[in-house]
Formats: sequence, C-alpha cells, structure tokens
Amino acid sequence: MNLLLSDDYLLQDYPESMTSTIRSGHATMLRFNRKGDYLASGRVDGTVVVWDLETMGVARKMRGHNKSITFLSWSKCGRYLLSTCQGWKAILWDLETGHRHREVRFRAPAYMAELHPWNHNIFVASLFEEQPLLVDVSEPVDVKRVLPSAPKRSNTENDAALKEKQAKEDAKQMTTSAIWTATGDHIIAGTSKGKLNIIDVKTLEIIYSEKICTGVITTMRITGSGRDLLVNSQDRIIRTFRIPNLSVEDLDPDTIQLPLEHKFQDVVNKLSWNHVTFSATGEYVAASTYNNHELYVWERNHGSLVCMLKDPKEEQGVIEWHPSRPLLAACGLETGRIYIWSVISPQKWSALAPDFAEVEENVEYTEREDEFDIYAQEEIHRRRLDAEDEDVDVLATDPTKEGDGLDNFRMPILFNLGESDSEDEFVAVSTGTMRRRSPGESQADLSAGAESSAPVRKKGGARGGRSKKK
Amino acid sequence: MSSPDELARDTPPPYKRRRTGDTPSSGSSSPDVLAGNPDDFLPPRRLSQRRAGLSKKSVRRSRSASSSESRTRSQTPVRSSPSPTRSPRSRPRSQSPTSSNQSRSDSFSPEPQQPTPTPPREPLKPNYKARLALHGHAKAVSQVRISPNGRFIASASADATVKIWDAATGAHMDTLVGHMAGVSCVAWTPDSNTLASGSDDKAIRLWDRVTGRPKTTARKSAGQEMAPLRGHHNYIHCLAFSPKGNILASGSYDEAVFLWDVRAGRLMRSLPAHSDPVAGIDFCCDGTLVVSCSTDGLIRVWDTSTGQCLRTLVHEDNPAVSNVCFSPNGRFVLAFNLDNCIRLWDYVSGSVKKTYQGHRNEKFSIGGCFAILNGEAFVASASEDGDVILWDVKNKEVLQRVQGHKGVCFWVDVHGETMVTAGQDGSIRVYRHIGLSEEVNGNVCLSVYVESMIVFYGEKRASASCSIPS
Repeated sequence: MNLLLSDDYLLQDYPESMTSTIRSGHATMLRFNRKGDYLASGRVDGTVVVWDLETMGVARKMRGHNKSITFLSWSKCGRYLLSTCQGWKAILWDLETGHRHREVRFRAPAYMAELHPWNHNIFVASLFEEQPLLVDVSEPVDVKRVLPSAPKRSNTENDAALKEKQAKEDAKQMTTSAIWTATGDHIIAGTSKGKLNIIDVKTLEIIYSEKICTGVITTMRITGSGRDLLVNSQDRIIRTFRIPNLSVEDLDPDTIQLPLEHKFQDVVNKLSWNHVTFSATGEYVAASTYNNHELYVWERNHGSLVCMLKDPKEEQGVIEWHPSRPLLAACGLETGRIYIWSVISPQKWSALAPDFAEVEENVEYTEREDEFDIYAQEEIHRRRLDAEDEDVDVLATDPTKEGDGLDNFRMPILFNLGESDSEDEFVAVSTGTMRRRSPGESQADLSAGAESSAPVRKKGGARGGRSKKK
Repeated sequence: MSSPDELARDTPPPYKRRRTGDTPSSGSSSPDVLAGNPDDFLPPRRLSQRRAGLSKKSVRRSRSASSSESRTRSQTPVRSSPSPTRSPRSRPRSQSPTSSNQSRSDSFSPEPQQPTPTPPREPLKPNYKARLALHGHAKAVSQVRISPNGRFIASASADATVKIWDAATGAHMDTLVGHMAGVSCVAWTPDSNTLASGSDDKAIRLWDRVTGRPKTTARKSAGQEMAPLRGHHNYIHCLAFSPKGNILASGSYDEAVFLWDVRAGRLMRSLPAHSDPVAGIDFCCDGTLVVSCSTDGLIRVWDTSTGQCLRTLVHEDNPAVSNVCFSPNGRFVLAFNLDNCIRLWDYVSGSVKKTYQGHRNEKFSIGGCFAILNGEAFVASASEDGDVILWDVKNKEVLQRVQGHKGVCFWVDVHGETMVTAGQDGSIRVYRHIGLSEEVNGNVCLSVYVESMIVFYGEKRASASCSIPS
C-alpha cells in the first residue's frame, strides 16, 4: 500500500549506507524468506534465529544443532526452514510451532541443503567429500537418493586407458553446491573441479556438464525469475550465466547451452570473494571480499562496478539481498554481527502540509476564475456532496498483488523470547561492570540447551530464560 | 478528596472524549456505585482530581464524572478474579428460558422490540436486531471490539477494567484488572489470543486472553509478568495492531504516535504526529501504512517501516477528526469528523470521495467501522444520541438506524453478522443480523441461545450478567 504514496522508485535501487546492525550470538549464515519480512540467521553455536525485519527484533529462536550452521533455506510458504550444520545433520523447522518438523542425518558434514522451490518435503544436500543427496521427507522414513557428480561424457569409444583416467578424475569430482532451478525440475550442481552439472530430478541423471572455471565452485545462486545463474568460485572470478529454458517438452540434452554473460573480478587487487548474491531482480550482483572490509556491487547491464560499501571495519562473510527491496544484509566474520545496508528515503516535506507543494523551479500561479468568489456555506456544502458521485470500492484489493500465495502463513507472535539483541555477548559481572562472555561459557550454555531440547521439546523461550540466568 | 460529583462540576462537559460522562448535572446519581468499594477507585479519582487543575487540554476529559445511568445493580467493580459479587444462584433464575422477559428487562428498557422501523426485506440490507445487553462495567464503556475470529468481545471502560465476553452467548469471561485509571481503548491481536489496552495511567498493557492475566515474558526469569509498555507522557487514547500482530501503534494525548515492538515490549519508533491529542489510529491491511488523526483536523498517513509521513489529509473546513480507520482493502480512509460528518478519503489523490451524514457527532471521539455482510460493505457509526447508523458506502444512504443506548453510544464494532456497541450508560449491547430466511424461525434461534447459556453458566462462574430481549 505504501507504494501508492511513495516515490521511492525514483531512488536508486541498490543500497548505499548502513542503516542498522543486529546481533544475536555469532551469525554465520543469513537467508531472507521469499516475502522478505523475515531474515533467518544461523549461529556458530547451532542456534537458528529468525528476525522480523519490520521490528528488527527476534521473532523465533530454535535450538537443535550443536555445530555451526552452514546453510539455511526457506520453503515457499515461509512456514518451513531448513538448516544444515557442520554436525552432519539437517533440520526442517516448522515455524508455526518452532519445533523440528523433521531431522535428517548424513554421513558427512553438509555444505548446504536447498529446499525444493515448491515442495518443502524435498531438498537437495551437498555434502563434504560425499556425493550429493536428494532427500524426500514426505514419508515418515526419509528417502535419500544419491545424485551423481561425475560429469556427463559424450564419447562412447571403448578406450580402456581413457576410461580409467576418466574414472579417476570422476572420483575426485565432489559436488560443493547444488541448487534448484525455478521450476524444481532440475538441479544445478557445481563441483570441486569447476564443473557445472545439470541434473534431471526425474531420472537423477546428468543431462548437461560443462567446465566453467578452474577452481572449486563455492556458491551458486539463481534469480527469482530463474533465468540467471551466479557462480562464485575459488579462481577469484564471479560469473553470471543465462539459464536456458529446461522445461520445454522435447528437451534435447545435446542442445543445451549455458552462455556466460559476465565475469566480475578485481584484477588489480586480485581479490577473492567470500560470498555473492543477486539483487532482487538480478540487476545487480553483490559480493563480500576475502580479507577486506568492502562489499562490491556491480550492475549486470554493462558489468560495471557501481559502488563499494565499506562501513563496518570487519570482513564480511555471507551476504544476502532482500527479495524485493534495495536492502543488503551481511554478517561480519569476526563479531558475527549482522549489518544491514539500505537506502534512506528522504522525508517529503510537502507530505506534512498538504497545501504546500514541492516544485523544482519557480512556477507562475494562475488563479482560477472563481477562486475567491464567496458562496454561502450551505451552498458550498451542497456542491461538495453533489460532487461525490464517484464509485468507490472499499473491498476489492489490487489484483496484481493477489495470488502469489505468500500470505498464507502467519508466524505466531511470541512474547517469551528473551532479549532481542546482544543476548550472550556480555555478562554482567557486578553493578556497572560487564565482560565479554568467554567461548567456553557459551559452550556450556549451549550443551544445556541441547540436552533439554532432545527429550522434551520446550519452547525456545524457556531456554532463553535459562541462558540469561547464567 | 472531593466526591465524584464535585469533580464533575469542576470539569466542563468534556470535549470529544468518548469515554467520559458528559452529564455534569447528573453527577449526583453516581455515588452509590462508588460507595460499593471505595478503594477500588481511589487511584483514578486521585488522578482525575489532579487533572482538574491541569491545563486546558486535560480539562476536556473528566473520566471520573460517572455516568448518570449506572444502576445500583451494576456490581462493584471487581479487582481481581471473576468476581463473586454476583451470587451464583441468581444466575439460573435470570437465565431461565421462562424468564426471558423478566427482571432484567429494566436494564434493557425501550428497545428489545423492533429496533428498526421497517425491517428491510432485501438480503443485502443490514438488519441488525438487538440480542443481548451486557452489564458489568461500573462506568461508561469507552470502546468495544470483537476479536478477529469473531468469538470474543473486549470492552474497555472508565472503571479502569477491561472485560472479555463471549460474543455468541454474552457470557462474561474475564475481567482484566491492573490499570490505575480509566481505559480508553483495546485492540486484539490478529490471532485473538492477546489483548492490548491503553489507559489514562499512560501505560499500555498486554493481556493473555486465555488466562486473563498480563502477558508473561522470559525476559528476566521465566514466567514473569510483562511490564506494561510505558513511554507516553499522557493518556493513551487509541491502539491498533498491525495485521501480523508484531507491531502495536498507540496514539496518545501527548500528541505522538508510538510504534511498539510487541515481542520485545520496546518502543520502536515515535512519530511526532500531531499538534493535538491523537484521536484515532489504524493499520492498513498489508501493514505498510499507519493512519492517525487528531483534533487538530489533520489525518496523517505514515510509512510503518520508515516512520515517515507520506500524506496529510485536511478538509477545507478543518473540522476536528475524532477517529479514523482504513477501508478493508486499504485504499481509503474513513474519518469521523466532529461536524456530524463521516468522510471517506482517497488518500492517494487526497480528496474526499463520500460524506456520510445522519448521525450526531460533535463532542466525543465516537467510533465506527466498515461492516461486511454477504460481500457488501457498509459504514457503521455510533451516534451521540445513542443510536447506531449504517450507511451504504456507495450511495451514502442510511440503510439502518439501530436504537442503542441511553446517552451517548461511544463505539460500534461489526464482525459479520454480529454488531456490538458501547455506551455511556455502562452497558454493552450485542446485535445480530437477521436475514430474511432466518427471521421466520427466529424464535428457534433464541431458545437455542438460552440453552447454551444455561450450559455455560453451569460450568463457569461469571461476574456479570446479560439479558436477552424477548
């Protein structure tokens, strides 16, 4: 509704200044939900915190992991959140209750696990030194199917030596990142050897492979439209690709092409990139830099650098662009704070006084013919009422905003959350004296939390209360 | 210490203050109410006495001037639990089906029969018939609101309590005691489980509907009661929850609008809104806009996320605006002016689209809302002559005039087929829309009602009574 009144579209559509900092523990992973009203953050101690962006406060805290969170993924409806940790498991949280909906164990730490864009019971997980898995948790016992990492070979000759060599190579191929296409029919996977595979979900076969870079592929992302792919790899180059339409009826795997669009790199400083993200529409690409404090933002039309965000004196890890607004969130590697950059729209002063208007240049005022005519009060009143012949509709909502299906889930408002921010950063030692909580202490706290969470699923708040007392 | 009637003389008839008695001449009738339990009302009395010497603004309000109608039967205001003041044995008698036309009819005197002169025959026309009169508040009822799920009624009263009633049976469910002065406003969270109340003691309290106790928080230790939201420098006059329930907006006599983070119970943003007491406040359906109005004649539309004023609406005549609400689709703003007009503003174009007339509103901040019946919208408003008036949104015709209270009717809230009003006489009235088909077997409906009430009373004690019109 506020879009009807604001002319924010005139503002620039990439963030320019830091607008807020939030903190709850040491955040390592961030993810916005589809609608963009909640931000999930994963902490080093394994806690998942959901932030309400409207209030910049904690909406939920979920404890269940006891190792650092590596990845988060929201379901389309916003009710389910999948988190993976270094502790060999993934938890699908139900945000309605705050309890774990499902827990899936792996045989290795997981790099990431991405939920199917339409079905919250299916996700793809890429594991450390293991083949990626397609996990279906719709049944009580979860079904794990192994996905291939070895690239597709076109040659069919029976050259034994070549085959052996290829088999050796293939054994070293490990999928490091796997994401879904927009339709959810295909998985795009990146490997440790810089290969990109497209996997058909029905057949679980690789239908397309290409070597796109020389280093390990660390991050892959697609835009909301699903037409563009962003790849970060260890060869210090960020690449964008156009994704072909894979959902055509008679898709011939041999005709698939994945054209490279842009390469973003810093040739002078030879920077490597911690994490990358697309902007809401995919118009911009942002990246956090390794061993550096800046965030780089490029625009994709010309491939030029538009700005560098350098406010916090800290190296930034994971960065996330808001799904609809020019808002960027990043978490600091050292402190684990979450920094948020945005645009500050200026107050329109004419909005405060309706009889004033803001003009760019001088305007000569021409008065209306009857402007200073004097009529009886009743006459004016009657005229006004007569003029109100317009048809109004107070019920029908804007049809363009309907039917996106994102409004179905409403997260309950919790009152028993404990302090919103800086929960365990400082401990009061005596009156007026604070000290930073030592790592060992928080460890004890967290194991206590994990213990109590295992047998009885208590509300997160009760545990929050306990952690305060320590 | 002065007696209440003395106070009533001190303070001139309050100007635009819905909750207060405006009957200085009749102050003498009230002492028996207060005599019941004098210390219950000590704090408010003290407050109001002090106020009598306050500035011009405060003189407008004299809450302690109790309403003339308050009968002796309105039991002494209860301080804690559902009160034992009403003896349980009296209940079955009053509720028995045979006595539906009985001792209680005095409380309902003129109106049980046909509130409408001609019952409309079209299904689309509203046909609200009086159903119940709820007594229990010792003083004027300033605001009454139906919960979003339609099952409960919350009423705020000048006797410093909030009461919760069953919307279907009219049974009294809880009395929320804690405010130190008269309560002007209540608001339901979207999930109908939490209630916020704003009072002249400058505090906003959040209540758990289920337990009838203040909301608890894990802030300091688990299970501690949440501290009231404090920050306003003057009486709280209006409250509204955002559609998600995460933000509470409050308008106060200190001329500011505050936005609260409900979860953390902290002040999020304070908007320097007006130059007179903020009289009304509302959120639009997607939560991005807040509208506030004031007796300074301005209606301001705010952006929730930035806190900026996006639009100011002023009518040429600059009449004081005593209440404001958004249309169901959020495209229009309904403003209740103190010149006996209700105006429907298109806030985008900044023009009045419709003016509704026919009610009386010159002094009090009376309330109203949009009502939706069978997909058709109406404007409902209370009137200072005690009636409720329903208009057609489009052609501005009065569709129904429902006789309501003796004295001023302060507030009306409609939820589908249920309508409820709050009156200066300390009573709450519940009406139900009777469609054409239902009218035939209306008697059957009524007997079902009565039966359900008996069941209800058999199980649970309640402190207040209700009566059924024949």
